[in-house]
Amino acid sequence: MKQLLPVFLITLFLSSCLKQTIADAMLADSEAQVGVATMSYEVNGNTVTTSVKDPDSQSPTAYQLGCSKTLYYGTTIPIYSLDFLSTSGDMGFIFYSDSLSVGHYALNGSYGDTFVLNYYNTAEFVHDLSDSISFNITSYSHGHISGNFSGRLTPMITAGNPNNTYGAPGSVLITNGSFKNVPVFY
Amino acid sequence: MRALKPTNTMLKGILASILFFIAVNAEAQLGVIKMVGPNTGQYSFGIGAYVKGIFPVSQAADLTLELGANLFFLNDGGTGDGTAVIPIKAGYRYSLNGTGMGFYVEPQVGYNIYGVTSENVDGYTKDLTFHGLVLAAGTGYLFMAGKTPLDLNLHYETVIAHGGSDNYVSLGLTFYLRFGKRDTDY
Repeated sequence: MKQLLPVFLITLFLSSCLKQTIADAMLADSEAQVGVATMSYEVNGNTVTTSVKDPDSQSPTAYQLGCSKTLYYGTTIPIYSLDFLSTSGDMGFIFYSDSLSVGHYALNGSYGDTFVLNYYNTAEFVHDLSDSISFNITSYSHGHISGNFSGRLTPMITAGNPNNTYGAPGSVLITNGSFKNVPVFY
Repeated sequence: MRALKPTNTMLKGILASILFFIAVNAEAQLGVIKMVGPNTGQYSFGIGAYVKGIFPVSQAADLTLELGANLFFLNDGGTGDGTAVIPIKAGYRYSLNGTGMGFYVEPQVGYNIYGVTSENVDGYTKDLTFHGLVLAAGTGYLFMAGKTPLDLNLHYETVIAHGGSDNYVSLGLTFYLRFGKRDTDY
């Protein structure tokens, strides 16, 4: 029995080296099960990011990060609207499709002025002909989409529709954009 | 007539009762405990109590069976948050001088019958229940205070579940509920 004591003590010591409490381990498991939706991008090199735990529990009509099927304003044309809210502002992108699927979706200046995002109270638009924003949906499974995006935008200096004033064309670069596990609401 | 079928809980209770009845000695303790390890800084001192059946196997050694209850109080902004565990453990207590008194060591192994951590998660109190393997090692000093046998002891214990562990140290003074005679003169 005496010989077993060192073995027991070593076992006890090693088991105590687990790096988290039981509660922390259970919460980590719980988060892994409910999932986390994330979105991040850089605005002229400044990172914007957020994550939403249990994204499916968000309201389909008022969410922080999600994509919802709706009708284009004033029409009966179905679209999918990807929307994101962070501490620096909001972002939106419309997938003009009746049936969302994996693929490439892009807008450029030839479509007319299109709002893309708000970054610390400056609205950034697809405005100039050289502007564009493009999204790639790389996976769409179990009602969640993941992918990446990038763009070149123009800031709006003062709003005064129809005579809005814009800043330097194409001066806002959106890089390293990615989204993961974003729920699609119907 | 339908026969009364004992449930698992009933069988466990009967077994525990038998074991405690055949114990030659029994003791009870009230002690101070402290959760230790990663992410336990918000835990204040807790309290622990146990009853223990003692089965002498030699002049120097006892087999022990212990049922405990430990409460740890958590200061995380929630109300009534903390951790509670109810372990049952079997152990081998060996007195170093071979008399059954004086300094001893006691490795233990067992099962956590019930454990719960209530903690503040995103502003809400969440209850996380668990069971798990229990390993413990203790040392102490058995002595007589007049005609009253006492046991001043220090224990280290870990509960392992869900890939994490709750580790704690306890310091306690044990009172004997019923005490059988050894050959030692006291």
